[in-house]
Amino acid sequence: MTNYQGQWLKLSPVAIIYFAVQFVKDVGNNLIYLLPAILVGYNQFSENGLAIISGLAALLLFVAISALLKFYFYQYRLTDGRVQIHSGVFQKNHIDLPFERIQNVRFEQPIFYRPSNHVCMLLDTAGSSKLEAKIIALSKGVAESLKQEVLSHKTEQASSAETESTETEQEQLLNSRSVQDLVIHGLASNRIWIVLGALAPFFNSLSEKFIAGIENLGVDVDALMASSQYAFWQYVLFFLSIAFVVIAFMALISILGSVITFYDFKLTRSNDRYIRRNGFFTRHEVVMKLSRLQMIVYQQNWLDRILQRINLKFEQLGASLDRQSAGTSGGKIMVPSVTLSEADDLASDAWPENKLSAINYHPVSKRLAIRNTLIAFWLLIPLAIAFIYFDQAELSVATGGLFILTTGLVILSWKRWGYAMDEQFIYIRKGLIGVNYRCFPIHKVQQTQLHQSWFMRRFQLCSVRLVLACGGQTLPFIKRATGEKYIDTCLYQVEALRKSWM
Amino acid sequence: MLDDTFSNQPILPDNLPTVSSQAFTPLSPMYMKVNLMCRLTFWLIVVSALLSLYWQPWFVLPKTLELYLPQLQLAAGIFGLLTSAYGIIADKNKGYALREHDFSYRSGVIFKSVVSQPVLRIQHVELKHGPIDRHFGLSTLEIFSAGGTMHTFAIPGLPDEKARELRSYVLTHSDIAEND
Repeated sequence: MTNYQGQWLKLSPVAIIYFAVQFVKDVGNNLIYLLPAILVGYNQFSENGLAIISGLAALLLFVAISALLKFYFYQYRLTDGRVQIHSGVFQKNHIDLPFERIQNVRFEQPIFYRPSNHVCMLLDTAGSSKLEAKIIALSKGVAESLKQEVLSHKTEQASSAETESTETEQEQLLNSRSVQDLVIHGLASNRIWIVLGALAPFFNSLSEKFIAGIENLGVDVDALMASSQYAFWQYVLFFLSIAFVVIAFMALISILGSVITFYDFKLTRSNDRYIRRNGFFTRHEVVMKLSRLQMIVYQQNWLDRILQRINLKFEQLGASLDRQSAGTSGGKIMVPSVTLSEADDLASDAWPENKLSAINYHPVSKRLAIRNTLIAFWLLIPLAIAFIYFDQAELSVATGGLFILTTGLVILSWKRWGYAMDEQFIYIRKGLIGVNYRCFPIHKVQQTQLHQSWFMRRFQLCSVRLVLACGGQTLPFIKRATGEKYIDTCLYQVEALRKSWM
Repeated sequence: MLDDTFSNQPILPDNLPTVSSQAFTPLSPMYMKVNLMCRLTFWLIVVSALLSLYWQPWFVLPKTLELYLPQLQLAAGIFGLLTSAYGIIADKNKGYALREHDFSYRSGVIFKSVVSQPVLRIQHVELKHGPIDRHFGLSTLEIFSAGGTMHTFAIPGLPDEKARELRSYVLTHSDIAEND
């Protein structure tokens, strides 16, 4: 190990691929904003094939050059207990990180690193994400020995008690997901609708192409529609089967997405750290200290309810933007499609005293439903009347129907709302068609807010908002006395127990 | 500052210290005046811009605009006066309260709210004064918690001296010192 000491080192050449991929990803992210323009101009583009190809070639060349330059200017060294990284071509970036500030060492392996067995080494610090260091390409062996060096430095410094704990450190498997579970997750997750939404701009041209394709096969669609030789139910059957095929195809894509993302999912625990590993192409590793856990969420959409599955989420610090871009150290740990008993096991492993599945929820005031119905009424009914006035009967009926539908949803969502508190935790239930159960320790509250509109004051109601490090949670339309009790209890527990929130 | 004598009285759930029964200190009267002045100036500018549009000799306005411009001016003027009047009531309702372990800030006329921030959860404190505030010796105390910038706790319209006092109260508070 000593031969790494003190001298500036270059990365393995594989890193060039990494830089290139990173660059393409960045450009891709920015292109999303241009996507509508590209879609609109699609026809013009398709006529200038040559220009596009030469443009792409230039872009590729640019990517290659920038990756080479970045690789050339990237160097790192380990010297007297600190990691130093110099990077950047025009904008130089120097990172100088003492070993004792490193909280955790993680590896990430994108797919193109696998043949040569290289890894990215991520050094987590307690502080801001900007100081997070990433050594981009190391062969596995070198990375392991560096990790040992960093960690052994830590234990040297630490007290004997901590040395003991690192000795006993071993990972204990809490949960793993089989491909079958992931298939269920893919079926139940909403990805299908996201894909459908993304395809929406193409529907018109797709259906035209589809009909043209059928006509090419020798089927005259117009004649098919007009002729009386088929009964009405046959048409219905025909369209139903097409719809079925489309939905099945979408489901397949969604399942594929789920399997690729969560392939070989393993949640392990070593002492106070939870580690999540998953991914088919790029293996991800997310580490969370138990003390950082802010909230446990059980998430169930309507399909999950039918299939009796739950998506369990461990929410950490707020997913603010810079945290997310810093990679996977912040954010949450999601365990996809677990059964209720598995979810309860996981939740009680993290917080043994929580009663997430046993607690009785208090309903919120029915005034919430009344207020929301009134809002819908004033938005939609005058519109419906206006449509009648302008002789648009169909639109008027549609608006009226929308009002009835909204009212139904308002009542459903009101019925889902529920809240409860025991000695240590506050529980919230909410949802519309699916359900969402949340549970967080009272002493992790950051700030309390009590809101009251004029309408609520008349009925002695209030809304309470409890801000956690992972975001604000609202208890809407509860009795004012109850709301005040919740706030006073929160403040008292925070201030009197003086427990740390992270 | 707090004294360090240890106390550990039993507290029954019904006898918790209550947020709602605190006496809130209203903001500095200067803040209301400055706010009123700013609002009136803004609407004055809007109305005078409309007026100068009406009277300017350089180009001819579209017919409909010319027809409705006086009404528009009147509406802007009335709306400006109303919002200014509402602003006075709103500013009078704003107030803050300080307990041993937390800050509270009350605001709102139709939608009232009370936000409470325990000192123990404060990440950092900032004093902010814009050019107008600075001229009148006012500052805003901004308190950041881990709840993110969406949930910044701010007390506007404090006299400079008071704001500095409050900041040093936070910084020397035993809860904060313990946290480090």
